[in-house]
Amino acid sequence: MRRRPGISGLQHGTAARVHYKNLGDHVQQVKLEHMRSQLEIFRKSLEEFALKHRDGVRQDPEFRAKFHAMCANVGVDPLASNKGVWAQLLGFGDFYYELGVQIVEACLATRAYNGGLMDLPALRRYVQRRRGSLADPISEDDILRAIGKLKALGSGFAVERIGKQALVRSVPGELNTDKNKLLELGQATGYISEQETRHKAGWTERRFDENIQALLREGLAMVDDSPGGGRLFWFPCLSSQLAAPNQPAGS
Amino acid sequence: MAGANFSFPVFHSYPPYFTLQPVKETREKQSALWKDLILKYCKQHKIFKLSTDTASELELFHNRGIDRQLSPAALDAFLSELVAQGNAQWLDSGHHQCLILWKRLDEWAAALLEWARSSGMEDSVTTVEELLSGDEVRGTELEGVPRELMQAMLRFLEKQGRARLFKGSTADDEGVKFFL
Repeated sequence: MRRRPGISGLQHGTAARVHYKNLGDHVQQVKLEHMRSQLEIFRKSLEEFALKHRDGVRQDPEFRAKFHAMCANVGVDPLASNKGVWAQLLGFGDFYYELGVQIVEACLATRAYNGGLMDLPALRRYVQRRRGSLADPISEDDILRAIGKLKALGSGFAVERIGKQALVRSVPGELNTDKNKLLELGQATGYISEQETRHKAGWTERRFDENIQALLREGLAMVDDSPGGGRLFWFPCLSSQLAAPNQPAGS
Repeated sequence: MAGANFSFPVFHSYPPYFTLQPVKETREKQSALWKDLILKYCKQHKIFKLSTDTASELELFHNRGIDRQLSPAALDAFLSELVAQGNAQWLDSGHHQCLILWKRLDEWAAALLEWARSSGMEDSVTTVEELLSGDEVRGTELEGVPRELMQAMLRFLEKQGRARLFKGSTADDEGVKFFL
């Protein structure tokens, strides 16, 4: 015989639902509690770690790079905020913002000579010199991280890879594959000639001319009528000693 | 020797800086660097006159280390810009000789006037030859000044009413009187 719904049945159902809900709340409460305490432990460990290795992180660029790699592995970004545990304990935020400002300065000061494309090692040397001999050393990894922060400003800073060389670009614009090819061919010597380039790349006269003219207009290339009679095209951004041509040689 | 330890800027060892650049912005930067270098070099080596025909004999315009000489077109362009900004004067219409004014003409004229004052030249007459021969100006910055520059200074002072030139006994000897 089928049982019909009755008042007691309804009451029973409601009571069970309330009961389940309470139980559920309780479980959630316990879980949250647990998470909180875990987070607390994690934060404490981070703080301990930061305090313990503070000097290492601050002074040793290699250690700093490894530290960043570790953070990336566990999915923590120590530079995400200036107010986090890391930033406060390590003075990180300021470190990279300051570096960012110095990078912008270096790129602006040398833009007229290199067309806004600067060799990464040259940029590091320039910034290091600017920071003075008493400052702790900085690495190319630090420079790249600081440039990563600059991107947030939408300032058009980017790192271009040409062959095995990294170049920091501080002007808007882009290197298409053809221009990239020309720079790559000039990497060994710092310059290219039309004949050799067309031979190596298998380009027509027109294709060479269009691309080299574009590089000249952008200030990334300079012409040189060599005594041998041929016209050569030099790329200042590939000659790292030209980073700051108004400083005397050897200083 | 004065200026033996002159240190050239880095661009002086970079070949394309010896060819006049076709792109305007690049050429302006190139020109600014060269003008600055020419003035500094001439000042340190006490060079008052440049001859465009023999310019390549100077280390300044000929870097043997990289086998590059500043092209004549580039040299003429940079010197003409120096002339335009008052730091040089062409001495002939064919642009062969150029007076390099690492001190501007008014500064030179002021120095000459100052020398005249401190050596008691007031109310006495001297000659251009004496000013050039060196005895009177030995040890001062006026030593070694070529005739062209001396005359330019004197003409400048004459215009201001601070000096007067007289025809001397011989055609090419002029007397000078300063008004202090």
